[in-house]
Amino acid sequence: MKPRTAVWITGVGAMTPLGDDYEEIADNLLAGRSGVRSVSGFDVSQHPSQIAAQIGKIRCVPGWDPAEFYSLFRLEQLTLWCCYEALRDAGWWERREELRVGLVLGLGAEWLTLWDSDAHRGGTSVFGSQADAEPLASSTQRKLRLNGPALSVAAACASGNYALAQARRWLELGWVDVCLAGACDAGVTALGLAGFGNLRALSRRNDQPEAASRPFDRGRDGFVLGEGGAIFVLEAAETARRRSAHVYAEVAGCGASSDAHNMVIPSPDPEPATAAMRQALADAGVAPAEIDYINAHATSTPVGDIAETRVLEAVLGPAVWKVPVSSTKSMTGHCLTAAAAVEALACLIAMQRGALPPTINLEDADPDCALCHVANEARPRPVRVAVSNSFGFGGSNTCLVLKAVSG
Amino acid sequence: MTPIRDPSAPCAGTAICADVVASAGIRVTMDQFPDLRQRPGPGLGAALPASVLRHADEQTVAGLAAVLHAIHDFQMDVTDFRDWGIVAGPCFLGRATLAVALQRLAAEGAWGISPHFIPHRSQHAVAGTISQVLKIVGPNLGAGGGPGSVVQALLAGAALLQDNRLPGVWIVATEWEPEAIPDANGGIPPEAVCHAVALAVVAARPSWTGIRLRVLARGTRMAPGQSVQTVSQLQGLLTPVVGDYALPHKVVWTLEGGGWMEFGRGEGGTNGTRPERVHRAEARVRFDVQQSGAGTENKR
Repeated sequence: MKPRTAVWITGVGAMTPLGDDYEEIADNLLAGRSGVRSVSGFDVSQHPSQIAAQIGKIRCVPGWDPAEFYSLFRLEQLTLWCCYEALRDAGWWERREELRVGLVLGLGAEWLTLWDSDAHRGGTSVFGSQADAEPLASSTQRKLRLNGPALSVAAACASGNYALAQARRWLELGWVDVCLAGACDAGVTALGLAGFGNLRALSRRNDQPEAASRPFDRGRDGFVLGEGGAIFVLEAAETARRRSAHVYAEVAGCGASSDAHNMVIPSPDPEPATAAMRQALADAGVAPAEIDYINAHATSTPVGDIAETRVLEAVLGPAVWKVPVSSTKSMTGHCLTAAAAVEALACLIAMQRGALPPTINLEDADPDCALCHVANEARPRPVRVAVSNSFGFGGSNTCLVLKAVSG
Repeated sequence: MTPIRDPSAPCAGTAICADVVASAGIRVTMDQFPDLRQRPGPGLGAALPASVLRHADEQTVAGLAAVLHAIHDFQMDVTDFRDWGIVAGPCFLGRATLAVALQRLAAEGAWGISPHFIPHRSQHAVAGTISQVLKIVGPNLGAGGGPGSVVQALLAGAALLQDNRLPGVWIVATEWEPEAIPDANGGIPPEAVCHAVALAVVAARPSWTGIRLRVLARGTRMAPGQSVQTVSQLQGLLTPVVGDYALPHKVVWTLEGGGWMEFGRGEGGTNGTRPERVHRAEARVRFDVQQSGAGTENKR
């Protein structure tokens, strides 16, 4: 088989509940700060869960009329900001029109989000013709003057990993010179909070927002809704090397599988998710003992965290006691469609800063989740290989392997 | 500053070639869905548990039905696809349900929202449900979401297949045509028809003479107006490709930045194969199924 073209991440644009630029997010992540608060922006008094990890005002893309920018829906603002910032960070922004810049966006429920946002503003677009409506991937491509294919992919909370895998493939195929990939979600809305709340998926620890997201802890009672986005610039190693670009990491391995079990409940059989992890590790040529850090999917639900522990045990074997694991959802909440991308960012931060972000609120580790936890405080450690698991509704299991790039 | 690349120069993009080994298209009106939800298609063997489709969107039901008919018509078996992947591109999935949900949220508050709303109306739901029914343990994902979702599904499916780990990929696209604008009660206009198309694609083989999907990244730009935007347009485009040997390729979509996606025929010669057009009518549901005579090559 033809060897894969190495694909590197050379730019990051992100906005999360922990900050709206790379350095701020890194500082807060490694300081173990929670982004969870009581929900603001709409009335939650009748909601079972009244807490969330929300983002603040989204930065306006330079050169845009602020009035025009802030008239867009938040999901679009977020996507535009993250794409702009990623291209700027990579050093491609000014030269983007000279290239074929592809775009693969993880968007779990684009139109539901937009119609919901419109209704929140008093609009009725869900009841009007949408024949001329422009999908977000296309409008982002047009508004940022990107000259390459654009695609949106959806696998619920695993969407971001699928976006990175597609982008890597596009680069390998030579369809694009550079590709933006990642995911955004502005899902902290009354509808989202009610829908997940009525699924009994959300924490009801409303009186202690910062302590509510507690993956692997015996006292966990559900996840905390989060929002945000992370978009990365991917390019072939050869291109990045030629221009002496700053490199965050190599997208070294991707794996994906399906449970074929239930739309919501994770499979009690760890085999499908195990297969996704093994695929990604094999793709990257990495043995379990070589992994320096695993960012677990672990959402803080009673069932899900145990299911993932069984997967990690199966994949890591004896190394399960040595490979550090944390869930940054303890701080960011569960950013849904954006979760995989935000957690890929957490892995990049671990690699760049040489420190592992912790699982906060891990005060009484569940014995059914016996892992090598990075509990409550960041741990200094050089990270050459980082692994990020992301699973989603619809039975999706994905795994991403990132490798540090030497020199 | 030196340009990175001369925009007028040909790009050294690689082509993806995928053989369409089974396909089916269906059209379903709103009044046909209760029956289809009970019996989405042939070949399932043991009855499908009612819970699987009870809360599913109509586009999910139609997408599953198209897949089951493709399997049946090409004499495959529903158990053949364990290691396959699936990409589904529904258009405006869950719109009518959202229209009702927004009103219930306003009238009844948080408790008015069904817990099934998010899992079954998000963009992954069609692929996720079909993967569950066919016991697919390969990747499943949604693509697109709005106008043009059909080409987004084709593009994502072709790229997914290119990964050599998969024996094949189902590409499914669904859409209401004309647009199903919900009324105040979430009702769908009676003239709206849910179209669904399902294609089973495998990596191209030299002997293949049936339908072939190709994606080519090249410097050449295609003239505008040659792109498919809807599921019914794709169905309409596939028919002459299947039926006319003289027609080499039909462009489906131009690739921004240079290149295009097209349907044509495999170059494996024409001896021994003959395209046929099949019309089916079953249980008040109209099916238009296009197939190539070579489709059963994929039976395992």
